[in-house]
Amino acid sequence: MNRFVTANPSKCIGCRTCEVACALAHSDGAGVEGLAPDTFKPRIRMVRTADVSTAVMCHHCEDAPCVNACPNNAIVYRQNSVQVEQERCLGCKNCVLACPFGVMDVVTVPAVRSFAGMTLSLGVKAQAHKCDLCVGRDAGPACVSVCPTSALTLMDREAMDETLRRRRERAAQEAAEVAA
Amino acid sequence: MEKHMAVCPYCGTGCKLNLLVEGGKVVGAEPLNGVTNEGELCLKGYFGYDFINDTKILTPRLRNPMLRRSRDAAFEAVSWEEAIQYAATKLSAIKAKYGPDSIMTTGSSRGTGNETNYVMQKFTRAVLGTNNVDNCARVCHGPSVAGLQVTLGNGAMSNSIPEIEHTKCVLVFGYNVADSHPVIAKRIIKAKERGAKIIVCDPRKIETARLADLWLPLNNGSNMALVNAFANVLINEGLYNKEYVANHTEGFDEYKAIVDKYTPEYAEAITGLPAEDIREAMRIYAAAPSATILWGMGVTQWGQGVDVVKGLSGLALLTGNLGRPNVGVGPVRGQNNVQGSCDMGVLPTEFPGYQKVTDPEVRAKFAKAWGVESLPDQIGCRLTDVPHLAETGKLKAMYVMGEDPAQTEPDLALVRKGFEAMEFVIVQDIFMTKTAMFADLILPATSWGEHEGVFSAADRSFQRFTKAVDAKGDVKHDWEIISLLATAMGYPMHYNNTKEIWDELRELCPIFYGVTYEKMEGLGAVPWPCRDLDSAGSKYLYEGNVFQRPGGKGLLFATEWRPPRDQLTEEFPLILCTVREVGHYSCRSMTGNCAALQTLADEPGYVTMNPKDAKALGIRDQELVWVSSRRGKVISRASVTDRTNKGAVYMTYQWWIGACNELTIHAVDPIAKTPEYKYAAVRVEAIADQVWAENHVQQEYAKLKGGLSNAVSRAVKKAPAYA
Repeated sequence: MNRFVTANPSKCIGCRTCEVACALAHSDGAGVEGLAPDTFKPRIRMVRTADVSTAVMCHHCEDAPCVNACPNNAIVYRQNSVQVEQERCLGCKNCVLACPFGVMDVVTVPAVRSFAGMTLSLGVKAQAHKCDLCVGRDAGPACVSVCPTSALTLMDREAMDETLRRRRERAAQEAAEVAA
Repeated sequence: MEKHMAVCPYCGTGCKLNLLVEGGKVVGAEPLNGVTNEGELCLKGYFGYDFINDTKILTPRLRNPMLRRSRDAAFEAVSWEEAIQYAATKLSAIKAKYGPDSIMTTGSSRGTGNETNYVMQKFTRAVLGTNNVDNCARVCHGPSVAGLQVTLGNGAMSNSIPEIEHTKCVLVFGYNVADSHPVIAKRIIKAKERGAKIIVCDPRKIETARLADLWLPLNNGSNMALVNAFANVLINEGLYNKEYVANHTEGFDEYKAIVDKYTPEYAEAITGLPAEDIREAMRIYAAAPSATILWGMGVTQWGQGVDVVKGLSGLALLTGNLGRPNVGVGPVRGQNNVQGSCDMGVLPTEFPGYQKVTDPEVRAKFAKAWGVESLPDQIGCRLTDVPHLAETGKLKAMYVMGEDPAQTEPDLALVRKGFEAMEFVIVQDIFMTKTAMFADLILPATSWGEHEGVFSAADRSFQRFTKAVDAKGDVKHDWEIISLLATAMGYPMHYNNTKEIWDELRELCPIFYGVTYEKMEGLGAVPWPCRDLDSAGSKYLYEGNVFQRPGGKGLLFATEWRPPRDQLTEEFPLILCTVREVGHYSCRSMTGNCAALQTLADEPGYVTMNPKDAKALGIRDQELVWVSSRRGKVISRASVTDRTNKGAVYMTYQWWIGACNELTIHAVDPIAKTPEYKYAAVRVEAIADQVWAENHVQQEYAKLKGGLSNAVSRAVKKAPAYA
């Protein structure tokens, strides 16, 4: 099963700590000084409507529409998750339109290449931009570790089984109550 | 990487954290398992540290003492010797000419710590000879202190922060916990998971309202009517604890006589709430085996704040929800050390440890300890009295430490006139602020992260914080600066460290005596009262239901509801209520200089409004708009949302361009002198030319920022010897 981060709207207080942690986890170590409004592009977004506050992010679908929609095989299943091979991304935005959760975006970053000790500018490079579960970060997804109300959890097979077990127990309990 | 233990400098939750330091620079913050935060931090706790590093995003750190010899001159950097001598000469001359009560000082409820506040009030009382010392509790929980001291005998939270998650009912009244204290919000969520009922009284659909079992969206300005109606239901439905009331309270008959009129049906007309919801709230509250009331600025920032605080404490008394674990009354303090500045007696009425200036024995004790013949016996003036007293010539000098009244007080035009009327203004701060622009002398202090000390969390817990990095520039600790000034004015004062100050004040304050530095080592937290060296302090107050009043009983108090002061008219038809947002703090000198927080929210800030109001005015979400009151006019950005009630608009108070305090009214509670920030009549207007408006915001913002940073950079250029 692909792992994914899930948000509990009954715990979210809309504080956006997750967004900052996400941006920092993908800043190549630049730290908070590197943050600025123009370049702030977290892969997790807090959404606030009249009735709900919660974070939304990639579900790492098992049969992912973004994977299916990509004409260049840039989106792949790897490490029990959906990952983007950025060098293959064309920036065509098919994946953006395919994603039913609105959590895929295409962003552009300055493209550079080193050649003979010189840095050459190659214009811009497109990137399909979404939650990568902070693969490579020892402590796991940054958003999960900072959420002050523990509204975010990393759902893997084990956590999913535990959730399902609890739900089935509750269903059994409720069934018993109805029978009584 | 070094790690240095600190207590978060933002809200009053008192979260323990480590500052991560590399090469003399703070590069991160990580949570510690403190008593109140248990390994959590919020947005500001995690990402609100880089202001220490002088990012200059909003305004520069102060590096040198700066003086201007006349108000039309520019600041020049001067030596500490010259700065202190200048201040001492000026203050001495003003004291000799106009008397000690012509000078006012402030403590700071922010990063400086308890020891500095103790030293500031000592300087004010023993050296200047006046009780004119106050702090920004005046504009926040002043009414909670004043109200609870009368009804229960102690102005602080009765129970501790960790207990909140074990209560069976939380009554949240005028308190946006998600934005004000995110880590306490987690306690409420956990309480709910453990089966507690949550009742929220707030006109807006705040985050906690979303999670509540019952949300009462009362009309803005109807608090007293609702609290009286709550009491009416408890009494008339026989829900109150008769035995508790008989044994532990007084004043029941007068109380009942007043609230009798406030039937839920009567209150319905004032509060706009269905009578049945008012009844239901009290049925839930009274049925809970343990219940906690938490409140914030939605209760206190009114012309009738003290009365409502007294009324809320009455609900706890009626139901016996005091004097044991997991119950109580909780005025949750907003600033990290506003509890501490009150504890330390930076109040015009009290010495440290809540000992009254009007008590001759107390005065004699402090006079003896401080080596002066006598101490002033008249109650001093309040922070909110300052503009009026300055304009009428009664106040001639002000020494502002770690506060920015030119941003945070109501009716800023009035505040500016007050500062202009003063003969001499000293501002002691870590940043160049809007208030510092009115100063004659600016004294640069070390920041949180650059010094150590003790903070008081909202639940009375004393906790130590340590230094992480060396300060840069020619700056000193706040308490050192005050000591130098005292000495230059003929009162030798010298401390080697904060522990010396702490031990001096412990000896003078019986309720703090047992709180030693050793007990607060590491993650240690000691809630006062703590009278003995072998005591761990008091997690909750009023043990055995003994209240700290003559006779030991709690007082039931009610009074008639009074409508707010400002008048809605055709010209100003909307209510403006000033509020907080999670990412910025106080005047924003700290959070505005943090890259992450500034990235999330910047000028001109938002005016949130209901879609129906917006539509009637032809305003679309995210457009710039004018907001004006009888006192001023500012530009802000509309945020149109169903979470905001119709007829009211909300602005956060830290913006320079969208400065809502240009609009607020200087109408104060008669007892606490706390301003009615929550109710000003305003008009909101659409702006046709949005391109012009966007440019206007950017230009004005650049001008303000440039003015402040140039004042500092030019001063340093003028006197390179000290730069």
